[in-house]
Amino acid sequence: MNKLFYAGFAFAVLAGCSSTPLNDANAPSDAKAGAASGSESGELSLDKLRSDSLLTQRSIYFDFDKFEVKPEYLDVVNAHARYAADHPAAKMTLKGHADYRGSHEYNLALGQKRSVSVKDVMNTSGANDSQIETVSYGEEEANQNCQGKECDQDRRVDISYEVE
Amino acid sequence: MKSLTKTLFLILFLLQTVHAIEVIDILGGKANELAVAVIPFSDDDADNEKNQIHNVIKSDLSRSGFFRIIKTEGVKSLPANSDQVDYTFWSGLKAELLVIGRVEKNDQQIKVTYDLIDVFKEKLIISTEYNGSLKQARQIGHQISNVIYEKITGTPGVFHTKIGYVQKVNNNKFHLNVSDMDGFNPKSVVISNQPIISTRWSPDGEKIAYVSFEKKKPVIFVQNLKTGDRKLVANFKGNNSSPAWSPDSKKLAIVLTYNAFSQIYVMDVDGGNVQQLMRSRSIDTEPVWAPDGKSIFFVSDRGGGPQIYTIDLATEQVRRVTFEGKYNVSPRLSPDGKLLTFITNDNGSYKVAVQNLVSNQVMRLTKGKNDEAPVFSPNGHMVLYTVKESDKVTALKTVSLNGFKQLLIDTGPLSNQEATWSPIDF
Repeated sequence: MNKLFYAGFAFAVLAGCSSTPLNDANAPSDAKAGAASGSESGELSLDKLRSDSLLTQRSIYFDFDKFEVKPEYLDVVNAHARYAADHPAAKMTLKGHADYRGSHEYNLALGQKRSVSVKDVMNTSGANDSQIETVSYGEEEANQNCQGKECDQDRRVDISYEVE
Repeated sequence: MKSLTKTLFLILFLLQTVHAIEVIDILGGKANELAVAVIPFSDDDADNEKNQIHNVIKSDLSRSGFFRIIKTEGVKSLPANSDQVDYTFWSGLKAELLVIGRVEKNDQQIKVTYDLIDVFKEKLIISTEYNGSLKQARQIGHQISNVIYEKITGTPGVFHTKIGYVQKVNNNKFHLNVSDMDGFNPKSVVISNQPIISTRWSPDGEKIAYVSFEKKKPVIFVQNLKTGDRKLVANFKGNNSSPAWSPDSKKLAIVLTYNAFSQIYVMDVDGGNVQQLMRSRSIDTEPVWAPDGKSIFFVSDRGGGPQIYTIDLATEQVRRVTFEGKYNVSPRLSPDGKLLTFITNDNGSYKVAVQNLVSNQVMRLTKGKNDEAPVFSPNGHMVLYTVKESDKVTALKTVSLNGFKQLLIDTGPLSNQEATWSPIDF
């Protein structure tokens, strides 16, 4: 077993014997989340975010059991990456999803892999790592009764911005 | 009779010696069942039919796949004890076993006596007495089923055990329920407005670990069933999911997306001493400890699609375990560590499969098409799994390894999934 110990986990040892709920030391803090004031919103060009034909597109769709960003979505992903590069204060969450078929846990992992694959494209287009958080909901928000093409909707990554 | 049945049960294991690569599909075969007549217990006046002890026994024995229940409706003179048995008559009905019982009620107390009879040998196999309250009628029935089961198969029965599962009340209400293994006596131990998945009963029987989305992302809780305490044990950056107990119930293997992709870590059950098990540039998830604690089975897409692998904890050697089909997920091991159950995608249909880890022979036990989350019964004779059918509510079923009998667990009209099974000593 790998003995390498992550610094980020050190707090877990401290919390070890208590019954106090653990807090994630490395998660984006709530203070940051509430920081978007009116003037900062202006700096973030919210108008552009809400009107630009590419930036208003917030969902990237994937093929069954696949995680690669398809060529037709590169324009949208790159537009968001450029927006992030131009607005260093912008923070976004990429939330991955999977359709209901297969295991809940594997779908959770697959949704995560999809969100990471969108992030990787954004990184190469100039978005900073610290601006992007990747999460997954797996199949938990998927249509549990979808048939055929209907299920395509559930294999996606949703882009959302902290200020919104 | 016992040796005969044992021989029949061995058919499953004889497949170990078959070195065929071909996967075997098994859909509800009826072979190897012993015909048993469970005579309605005299004076079994439990308030409703479902609590009548003979009905509990019939349901249990039938679920096991070892027994075929002979109908006794319409038989005029049913025996109330072993002296009254007309062996010629029951032989004519092809009954191999008879269960005859009596209930004596005294206020809210009951005394239950029963006889198990070998019809061909005209011999009493066992006769036992139970005392309890009227409310314990079903439990007494399960105990009787256990004794009969062990007498015939040589393996302890699990009819007294509990299961845990997630009940979806609506899109904003999820219960973690615990019930008898046949779905009776459900109790909610956790209620959440966010989804719950990956329930895992600890081997010591005291706790259930599970994944909740209540922090707007998956985190891992451990629910103590004795004290009712609930503890958040993993809330690291990214997703926290797929808890798996070590055999001594002291550690959890978990999956974190701390560094982008899902990776397996091992930590103490209180959340301390977190160590990454291995590093890969792929999805590694759904860990499960081998019963001897020496290896961890898991799912990885390192070879393209998801397949099941195992890592030896001493040597860190990783070995691929599944080779049939392009999608194999949700591994769980039998208590003896010899059989692996998992979900396999067979031409778009997700089915419960069992792989013998000695011969690597694979058998598909169900026909799909959206089966999920298989878990062995604590005696390894059944697999509990989730059935999703498009026009029906998501439900739990068991499939027996002997006879491959599939039976619904009656958990009511709501959607139920992600089940776990208590240990046998519960």
